[in-house]
Amino acid sequence: MQKITIPRLGWSMEEGKFISWLKKPGDLVSVGEPLFELEGEKSLQEIESVEAGILYIPADAPLPGEIVPVGGLLGYLLEPGESPHSHSQSTPEPAARSFTGHDELAAAVVKANETSLGKSPTEIDRPENLAHLPVASPRARHLAKQFQVDWSSLQGTGRDGRIRESDVQEASGRGAAGRPSNNAKQGLGTISPRRKAIADRLRASRDLTIPVTLTTTIDATELVHLRQRLKHSNPRLVPAYTDIVACLIPWIYKSHPHMAVVWDTQHKGLIPVPHDQIHIGIAVDTPDGLLVPVVQQVGLKSLQTVTQESRKLIEQARTGRLPKTAMQGGVFTITNLGSYGIEAFTPIINLPEIAILGLGAIRREPVVMPDGQIMARDRITLSLSFDHAAVDGAPAASFLRDIAAAMADPAAYILNSVH
Amino acid sequence: MANSTQNLTNERLGSLYRTMQVIRQTEEELARCHQRGLIHGACHTYVGEEAIATGVCSHLNHNDVVFSTHRGHGHALAKGMPPKDLMAELFGRSTGCSQGRGGSMHLFSPEIGMMGTSGIVGPCILQACGGGYSSKILNNGTVAVAFFGDGAANNGAFHEGLNMASIWKLPVLFICENNQYATEVPFSYASGNPSVGNRGSAYGIPGFELNGNDVLEIYRVAGDAVARARAGQGPTLIECKTYRTRAHAEGMGDFTYRTREEVEAWKLNCPIAGLRKSVGVGNYDLARSAELVERFDQIDAEVAELVKEARDYAESSPVPVAETATNHVYGPQLGPVQDPVGPSSRTISFSQATLEALSEEMAINPTIFVMGEGIGKRGGNFVTTKGLYDLYGPERLCDTPICERGFVGLACGAAMTGTRPVIDFMFADFVLDGFGEIVNQIAKMRYMSSGRLKMPVLLRGCIGIGHSAATHHSGSYYGMYGQVPGLRVVVPSSAEDAKGLLKHALRCDDPVLFLEHREILQAKGPVIEGDFEIPFGKGRIVRQGRHVTVVALARMVHLVSSVSDELEREGISVELIDPRTVSPLDTDLILESVHKTGRLLIVDEPPGQYGFSAEIAARVVDEGFNDLDAPIKRLTGAFCPTPYSPSLENVMVPNADQVLAAIRELMSE
Repeated sequence: MQKITIPRLGWSMEEGKFISWLKKPGDLVSVGEPLFELEGEKSLQEIESVEAGILYIPADAPLPGEIVPVGGLLGYLLEPGESPHSHSQSTPEPAARSFTGHDELAAAVVKANETSLGKSPTEIDRPENLAHLPVASPRARHLAKQFQVDWSSLQGTGRDGRIRESDVQEASGRGAAGRPSNNAKQGLGTISPRRKAIADRLRASRDLTIPVTLTTTIDATELVHLRQRLKHSNPRLVPAYTDIVACLIPWIYKSHPHMAVVWDTQHKGLIPVPHDQIHIGIAVDTPDGLLVPVVQQVGLKSLQTVTQESRKLIEQARTGRLPKTAMQGGVFTITNLGSYGIEAFTPIINLPEIAILGLGAIRREPVVMPDGQIMARDRITLSLSFDHAAVDGAPAASFLRDIAAAMADPAAYILNSVH
Repeated sequence: MANSTQNLTNERLGSLYRTMQVIRQTEEELARCHQRGLIHGACHTYVGEEAIATGVCSHLNHNDVVFSTHRGHGHALAKGMPPKDLMAELFGRSTGCSQGRGGSMHLFSPEIGMMGTSGIVGPCILQACGGGYSSKILNNGTVAVAFFGDGAANNGAFHEGLNMASIWKLPVLFICENNQYATEVPFSYASGNPSVGNRGSAYGIPGFELNGNDVLEIYRVAGDAVARARAGQGPTLIECKTYRTRAHAEGMGDFTYRTREEVEAWKLNCPIAGLRKSVGVGNYDLARSAELVERFDQIDAEVAELVKEARDYAESSPVPVAETATNHVYGPQLGPVQDPVGPSSRTISFSQATLEALSEEMAINPTIFVMGEGIGKRGGNFVTTKGLYDLYGPERLCDTPICERGFVGLACGAAMTGTRPVIDFMFADFVLDGFGEIVNQIAKMRYMSSGRLKMPVLLRGCIGIGHSAATHHSGSYYGMYGQVPGLRVVVPSSAEDAKGLLKHALRCDDPVLFLEHREILQAKGPVIEGDFEIPFGKGRIVRQGRHVTVVALARMVHLVSSVSDELEREGISVELIDPRTVSPLDTDLILESVHKTGRLLIVDEPPGQYGFSAEIAARVVDEGFNDLDAPIKRLTGAFCPTPYSPSLENVMVPNADQVLAAIRELMSE
């Protein structure tokens, strides 16, 4: 018997609104299947089951619409043949009520028992019963969770019927590379959980923020030089432009307290970001869509450390190994579309943050210098989207001006930093 | 005593007295602290033997090096270690001479030439030979001293060390402190020859037998020996007959093997009291005698104060931070490694590649020397040093007697004192005689000294089964070395890897086991000309594939490679990974590959039990469980010594058919 509890969806979430069950009592739930809907601090989410079993909902379980604290009990997943009575101390209600109140469960339990042995529940021999469960390789189980395939019903092609990766791929209708194949049923659109999560986040931003995007173009010659110099001194750890800019943000925050804030969990008030909590998100394009891994405590770290950490996070993001915790806690995000030749764009604010900075392509252009000469210089356009609900245009513009100034002469900040 | 005292100044006499008194009072304070439970581990005191360390070390400067034994407090203090550094170490504090990593038996202060004490009896003799060899290579006039007990005189290290020191005329003093009991076994029982001093003649070196409680006599003889060593006239053996008047270790019973009467009698023969007595009016005029007595009294009081301060210092010092416990196992990572600028069109053999690497590095670095059997004029059994003797001469290409323990121990001492020895041990089976020196000394030295001693030792030689070499010329053993913290273990499969890895090994400040499979020494491959390094812990994808990851080393890389095309035609795409170094192991590369393929086979020549293949399997299960689509398989050598007859030898090692079968079987899992 496994407990189903309210998960923590964000770093500050203390409670959530239980919306509804996506399974009926008595349903056989597989690992990875959507089990219930929960409204967290940011969005409505379908919560996947992390265990397999038969759904059992006690009579006093929370009802749809109730606010439940993180960790609060919603129900149980029972193993086939397992009765909720056998765990009286952890079952919050008397047995009789359970069965009269949940006929479907009673039927399911009995059915599960009958199909395996045709014996009454008390006669069930557990190990023997377990022996009838199919065996799947760890890789197959992992993939099944990702594709939301119920592997327990598959016929394995491995030794002694072991379910292998290829069996799950076939059942999911996807090709060997782990991508959807062309056999997907015509007419019915699908969306991956990852895509849905991205859409939900963006929609929440659209609904809750009043975004305004400011752009400015600056001389990036020194920025390019700095990176060249760092590349020369250590070719194995060359910072990306996003890393350099991330390291500038804590400096700029010092003189822009209005910008150094995030929304609280209720999206009602603004919380100041202390210097040791400046966690900066870096937007990464991955095969599975947009991810924003967060480099922690940038204000306390050297450019070298930030570069190492961001490189690792980006690698994890691109290989599907980024832990959920590595995407939480950001206070500011940097997104770079420069490699696509994009110059300016309108980045979407990543809640609960109040601003996001977009970096455009660095291009070489003729520039009229102060002395009237025309010189070839590197130029970059910055696009800062900020939430007008949180801060006004003038402070945001001043913030962007100071970022621009720092980026125009970054060495002063980066090389002198004594974090 | 009378004759010698009159030649010495009052200052010198005072200094000898003071050193003995510092040792005595520090030891007595340590004994008290041990009783009160303030010292955590063993505590071997030097009480009664103070004259020896004092008489010898008075002739040494800070560049001279001392290698000592488990009863080493006195040597450290006489070499100039402040009592507070010693006491803090025994108290387990971060201000101790070994920063809390050593305790009583591992005292290090290389800054003043106190190169370390050891819990193992014997190695200090060999390490002192290494210190002497460094002195020759660096030509810096330093002298090395080994202090050891009567127990070590009957240990093989004594024989091997004295012989090496004799044939190479090393500037070494071998000081045997014969306190008559090897722990609790009487010397009179344990030794067929009741004299240690007269054994010098057996090795063709001067030997002396002295009263070990007469500091002036020791001072005189040691002075001559140091002068002889500095003059290039070779080593000296000095036996000092003495007695420890406290138990072997504090808290141990003392009268199961010796009597109270014997101990009391020796207490009367106290070396400190003896020196006081020798400056009496019988030997000196009244005025000088009175002046010396006053000076000694004053020293007693000063030393009491010094020892009290040392104890306060030790007690108030911080303990080391637990998070630092695993620091200093290895040296810091080397700077950026020069990437190979290949590919090269030139093709040379594995052994030509290593010879090229060694020759290039010896040209750059004059502290590199090679030791081994037949590596001089002959150029090495496996032509590992061909032509180098003519280029770099006999001192840097040094042929050895057949004494693996001896020259491996010597290498340890040499590395501690500023040179970079290359030990060419020919066969990995042979160097097992030096296993204790490798595991207990070489691998641990950096750590025990809290990172202050570097250990740039390269130990190279052949491994591998083939050509009916039978069981003493065919072992691999790298799994065993892979278990030892502090060692780097390198097992290359290609000529280019061999050159790049050997060059890296010759620049790395950690000890490296460089194991060359005999059956691939003539295998040719493209090798970049000129300078490049391959860092440790970076594996190589020998062949890219999609369906199954195979990890192999050395000859097994060639074997798996040879069947991969056949498998490809069957539709099985093999990704072959050569980790190149067993320690550190490039786990990430293997995990990445398994992430791609979902299947792992490890093909390894030595037996699988507790080995390299088991380690990889365990790491992949730990860190890559969810990537596995099938059980991990191992194909390894038989758990058996290597037999001679080809029909028996053939079944020891995985062959092509077995690799094919194992991969096909794994695909059907």
